[in-house]
Amino acid sequence: MLTEKMEEYLEALFKLSCEEETLTPTRLSEYLGVTPPTVLDMLRRLEAEGFVRYAGVAKGSGKGKGEGRARRAISLTPKGQRAAKTLVRRHRLSERFLTDVLGLDWESAHREACRLEHVLSPEVEEKLAEMLGNPETCPHGYPIPDEKGHIKEEEKIKPLCDLRANEKRCIARVEEEEPQLLQYLASLGLLPDVDIEVKEVAPFGGPLLVKIGDTQYALGREVASKIYTKQGRGPRRRGQRRMGDARKR
Amino acid sequence: MKQERLEQLDKIREKAEYIFALAGNPNVGKSTIFNRITGMGVMTANYPGMTVELNIGMTEMDDLKIGIVDLPGTYALGAVSEDQMVARHGVLQGQPDVVIVILDANNLARNLYLLLQFLDLRCPVVAALNLVDQAERAGTHTDVELLAEFLGVPVVPTVGIRGDGLDELMHQALELARRREEYITIPFSYAADIETRVRKLARRIERKLEEFPYGLSPRALAILLLEDDEEFVAALEEEEGEGGELIAYCRQIADEIEKEHGEKAALIIARERHGIAGSVASNVQERREYDRPRLGERLWEYTTSFKTGIPILLVVMGLVFLAIFWGGGALADLFSRFWDSYIGGPLNQGIESLFGVNLLSQSLGWAVDGLGAVLEIALPYLLVFYIILGFMEDSGYLNSVAFLSDRSMHRLGLHGRAVIPLISAVGCNVPAVMGTRVLSTRRERVIACVLIVLVPCSARVAVIMGGVSRYVGWAPALLLFAILFVIVIAAGLFLNKVMPGESTGLVMEMFPFRRPSMANVLKKTWLRLKDFLYIAAPLIVAGSFVLGLLYESGWIFKLTQPLEPLAEWWLGIPAVALLALIFAFIRKELALALLVVLAAQVIPGVTESSTLLDFMSKGQIFTFALVCAIYIPCVATLAVLWRELGARDSLAITGSTVILALLLGGLSHLVLTLV
Repeated sequence: MLTEKMEEYLEALFKLSCEEETLTPTRLSEYLGVTPPTVLDMLRRLEAEGFVRYAGVAKGSGKGKGEGRARRAISLTPKGQRAAKTLVRRHRLSERFLTDVLGLDWESAHREACRLEHVLSPEVEEKLAEMLGNPETCPHGYPIPDEKGHIKEEEKIKPLCDLRANEKRCIARVEEEEPQLLQYLASLGLLPDVDIEVKEVAPFGGPLLVKIGDTQYALGREVASKIYTKQGRGPRRRGQRRMGDARKR
Repeated sequence: MKQERLEQLDKIREKAEYIFALAGNPNVGKSTIFNRITGMGVMTANYPGMTVELNIGMTEMDDLKIGIVDLPGTYALGAVSEDQMVARHGVLQGQPDVVIVILDANNLARNLYLLLQFLDLRCPVVAALNLVDQAERAGTHTDVELLAEFLGVPVVPTVGIRGDGLDELMHQALELARRREEYITIPFSYAADIETRVRKLARRIERKLEEFPYGLSPRALAILLLEDDEEFVAALEEEEGEGGELIAYCRQIADEIEKEHGEKAALIIARERHGIAGSVASNVQERREYDRPRLGERLWEYTTSFKTGIPILLVVMGLVFLAIFWGGGALADLFSRFWDSYIGGPLNQGIESLFGVNLLSQSLGWAVDGLGAVLEIALPYLLVFYIILGFMEDSGYLNSVAFLSDRSMHRLGLHGRAVIPLISAVGCNVPAVMGTRVLSTRRERVIACVLIVLVPCSARVAVIMGGVSRYVGWAPALLLFAILFVIVIAAGLFLNKVMPGESTGLVMEMFPFRRPSMANVLKKTWLRLKDFLYIAAPLIVAGSFVLGLLYESGWIFKLTQPLEPLAEWWLGIPAVALLALIFAFIRKELALALLVVLAAQVIPGVTESSTLLDFMSKGQIFTFALVCAIYIPCVATLAVLWRELGARDSLAITGSTVILALLLGGLSHLVLTLV
């Protein structure tokens, strides 16, 4: 049986595995904010239950194996994957519900969802998804696994300058090397999760004509190469609230 | 220079009861509204960055004097480029009683961002919803009352170019100024977690600081600090003790925000503002979508698409040349006939009968011819050229040109944005040099200034068209423009090579075509001509008079003698012609005008249309125009260069253009004698 703590670990492992290639106890302890011994202890329990695979420390002692140990990674078993995906799905569905329906802000929604994910029954989970219209992403823009645990393949992130005319994508991030440029672009509304449509691409490394909202901008190649885009439309994100909230006096 | 304008503002403040500032995004029509309100003539155009300085004017309302400050357009009150800094200081240091924020009804959401910033600063704000006519035509309807209710500030729909709604706008602003003491600006509140932190920081600021920079509220300061605003962070760092502690606290809060949201606090705040702006806009606007793009839009797409855009650009340039060639030529004929039969002849006779034949009357005869040259040669070409320029500016075609040329401009060390000052240099170099302030690095500004100085301004166009195309032929005139074009390109390529650094990127809002208003085009033409008629024309007349005095008294030969080797041997033109070129340092129009006068006086009695050709050969006229087009910017351009770039660079530019002009002039002479 999974305890709430164990579920937290599975979830953390799943999220980290989406971002990084190798999972180590050190990385996990940083992420969860606990000491490495605690992590190792928990990993052993999870391994015993068949949720993760990890050739623990105890086995790998002795000369010549240190190297191998350092590279040794934690991985989720199919059983662990399933459990983790369910949790992630419940978490992200809850977030959607809390922001879209109850109007909570982003972080409160995240905190509440951390609690809700452990107590939702499969039935509630299903009804929740139905009511929300089976959303594909959480408010932060991460994908929500479907009931079978499939995650919509996340498209590769492409710089804006690699797009063709008439492509509609969504800004994933803007390089932060030049804070001034970043701030200027932000004041124009060129922010992550904003939809962007390429209207025209001048040939021979010329500029791009893009449309954001009602405005068209000419962006030089070097600027466009610093803006990364992803597939699909931007999720509803913070800021887009009902007017009443912003006009609290 | 910034200081200069602010001092001017202080002077106005002494005279005026209230000061209103006009703020808004670039190209929303601030200057047009400014002109309407103050009756002044500030240049306007349909592209961003026309205004780069504070324009200051006065108006009267209810027997009260009101100072009006027109700020350069800006998307935010940040400190990215110099024109934006001017806008920011105009508001922060200028301390206007009311900020009139001008919004483009076509693009409300993005425009509201700046207004929200003003609300954050607690400036008393009145909003003008400009270009409503255009928005309605495009199918966007705005509920003005609802917008005013959301924003908590008065909102007045306006059509700046026609003056609709401006009385009401001024009335509302005055109302607000009168009850400024009791009026409280209520900013929007951000999402709960951000707002709590802003307030926490504001409370700390309130406790720790005794004086707030620019009299800003603690909350406004808190937001500016969280946005990592360079100026305010630097100001706090200078404060003893408390300042450093505050900054540390602010960093801590900013870190908290960043940790929670995975984005910098400055971005989160920008996102918040966009969010609020977006939901206000979508709540108050309704739009009808058209199935087919409208004609203007389709045309616009053709001009920005590479395949069709380049041919269109070439055709437009050709048409402009032809229009000046035919239109200017026809007008010149007309004016010249009118002058000879009604003014010139009688005037000369009158002078002779009044003074007899002596040095004075002879010199006055030169002055009369100078006046004739103004009317016959300079005015017709300038008139046609200014009308065309006005149409080009107001249509917004330059936006498309900037887009098309971005890549080529990179080769010259610039980017598409620099095209706008470069093309406006064709009107006059002076505002173009000031217009380089929209560029963000000094390297770009220096390169742009050099190129601008080499772009023939309207006066030089008049010299080329009135001299070369009229007396020599259209093909040599076109060749001359081609040579100048090549020089500009070569200079850019060269500077891009030798100057350290590289070009930054283009980020420019693109504006769709607007139908130019004939009235506005004519008004701008008049404003430009006024400058010519009031300053250049008297100079030409006076210059002719002085030249006459020198000539009739025989002094001129002493003056021209040292010039002879350079003029006759090297350039192959009469030494007096070189003297005319030197005079033209004051105003470039002088060059041709004086030449025409010289021709008429030195070789009298020939038929009027061929006078110049009797004085100089076709080849000489060509060389003369070439040297005139390249050497030293006129004195006004030199002055503005000095102000923008400093003594060293401006003198270097002047010196190298003189050398280049003499080199090419000599080369032209050499080639022409060989051929």
